Amino acid sequence: MNVIETRNLTKYYGHFIWKKKEPALNRLTIEIPEGSVFGFLGPNGAGKTTTIRLLMDLIKPSEGEALLFGEPPDNLDIKRHIGFLPDNPVFSSYLSAYEFLDICAKLLRIPSSERKNRINEVSEIVKMTKHLKSKLGGFSRGMTQRIGIAQAILNRPKLLILDEPLVGLDPHGRQELKDIILEQKRNGTNVFFSSHILSDVEKMCDRISILYQGNLLCFGKLDDLLSQTGSRVHIKHGEDEIIKDLIPEATGTMRHSDGSWELVFQSKPETTLRLNEIKELHPKSITITPSRENLEDFFFRKIENAQAIA
Amino acid sequence: MAIAGGTWRRILRMRVVYFLILCVLILIGSAYNYDILSMGMHKQLMIDVSLVLNTIAAILIAVSITFEIPKELKEGVASTLLSKPLGRTQYLVGKLVGIIVTGIVITGLITLGFMFVFNAAFGEVTSSMVKGHVLIMASVIPMSAIAVLFSVFIPEFLAATATVVAIWFAHATSSMSGVKFLYGGILPDLNLYNLRAEAVYGGISSGYILVALVWGIVFSVFATALASLIFSYKDLK
Repeated sequence: MNVIETRNLTKYYGHFIWKKKEPALNRLTIEIPEGSVFGFLGPNGAGKTTTIRLLMDLIKPSEGEALLFGEPPDNLDIKRHIGFLPDNPVFSSYLSAYEFLDICAKLLRIPSSERKNRINEVSEIVKMTKHLKSKLGGFSRGMTQRIGIAQAILNRPKLLILDEPLVGLDPHGRQELKDIILEQKRNGTNVFFSSHILSDVEKMCDRISILYQGNLLCFGKLDDLLSQTGSRVHIKHGEDEIIKDLIPEATGTMRHSDGSWELVFQSKPETTLRLNEIKELHPKSITITPSRENLEDFFFRKIENAQAIA
Repeated sequence: MAIAGGTWRRILRMRVVYFLILCVLILIGSAYNYDILSMGMHKQLMIDVSLVLNTIAAILIAVSITFEIPKELKEGVASTLLSKPLGRTQYLVGKLVGIIVTGIVITGLITLGFMFVFNAAFGEVTSSMVKGHVLIMASVIPMSAIAVLFSVFIPEFLAATATVVAIWFAHATSSMSGVKFLYGGILPDLNLYNLRAEAVYGGISSGYILVALVWGIVFSVFATALASLIFSYKDLK
């Protein structure tokens, strides 16, 4: 079963009289199977938060549909199995952390006999036990984020949806939160989160998608997406003819301090054939290795391509 | 009930609420000193002042929700709550129940305080006085429902203003008897709860209180249903 499924999910903001012409989300269709840590990427304004709000039934779609575990997002029974952390969370400032978690536990129908223990358990996980009696209004951004995670995992959710969970945390806090997310995955929780911190996404996620201006640019397993990138060719110093020959087709070039060159080529059959021919002619001058872009390079390349088309 | 409990806690933690109750009781008590100014009618004056001040307190409590709901919607507090198995109607009903219970408790405390002060001043408390105050307590129900309705689609200060204006119109039904559409069901007739003369001189039956209470509940159900319909289409932060 897919934990999240969207079919042509579209959202136009604005009122029925003056609706914006460009959709914030344009016909998004994705399927996320069980057992995934899914990274949802995109620049500011791409539609990530809009997608998450549609999944949580906080806003209504203009067209299309979203399904969580095969059910529409407004199904209250399904929400018992979902944990959600909004972007830049704000909680009732007049409540203490314990009172707020208690309210969340009641809403999640956690039996009263288990509530106190579970609150203590999650506060221990997020290292906020000594602040349970403090008012939320006095919390720093990092402390609020930790309480946000605590309320999201109170019900041992089957699906955790996190909107920019790592923003606002110091490096130590980010590492702790990443550990929490990976621990949740080990416990069988599916995780769906949006982030700008690509290095963290690359380490934690097995599937990603990239949005740009409401449109889906790519979607799939991280290993499959990054392995499609091409070849990296190292050319020794002095082989100017080879370099002149290959540079026009290279997507990236770098000259090292020793005079050698490194050229990057996209994965195309004709390019691969040509490189192999040159390699046969000059076996000692060039070295070809399959290149796997890092996520950051892949991300920026996708965005630049999308900007060029737009 | 979890949502109602949150509203209850919020108001009880506001020091201004206790200050309000204290000021009201002091003002009620001070009416005892106006025997000369009121030509010996200070007993009736005290009852009248207590009813007016209790009504004002009830209005202030009801209006306070117009700051809570829009703020929670604007800041995203409501989004976290609504991500739980909590329907939007349940959220509104929880807020409404919370403010009604809090309003009834606070006006009830004022009523008790008034009875204590009045008894200390004149050595008696009549049932008509108490019934007058019970009607004020019951008026919290429809006033809170109006406040919740406006909170759902208007920002805080405008919602508070609109609620106060609506409550004022709803109290003015006798002077606006020609404008039937206003109190033909859209606005409650809050004059039903405003029986100051009867509270002073007698004549409020228990049956009347029951009918006024039921009418207030029916109106609240209508206003909350309308609020829920509007809220169901609202995009949340």
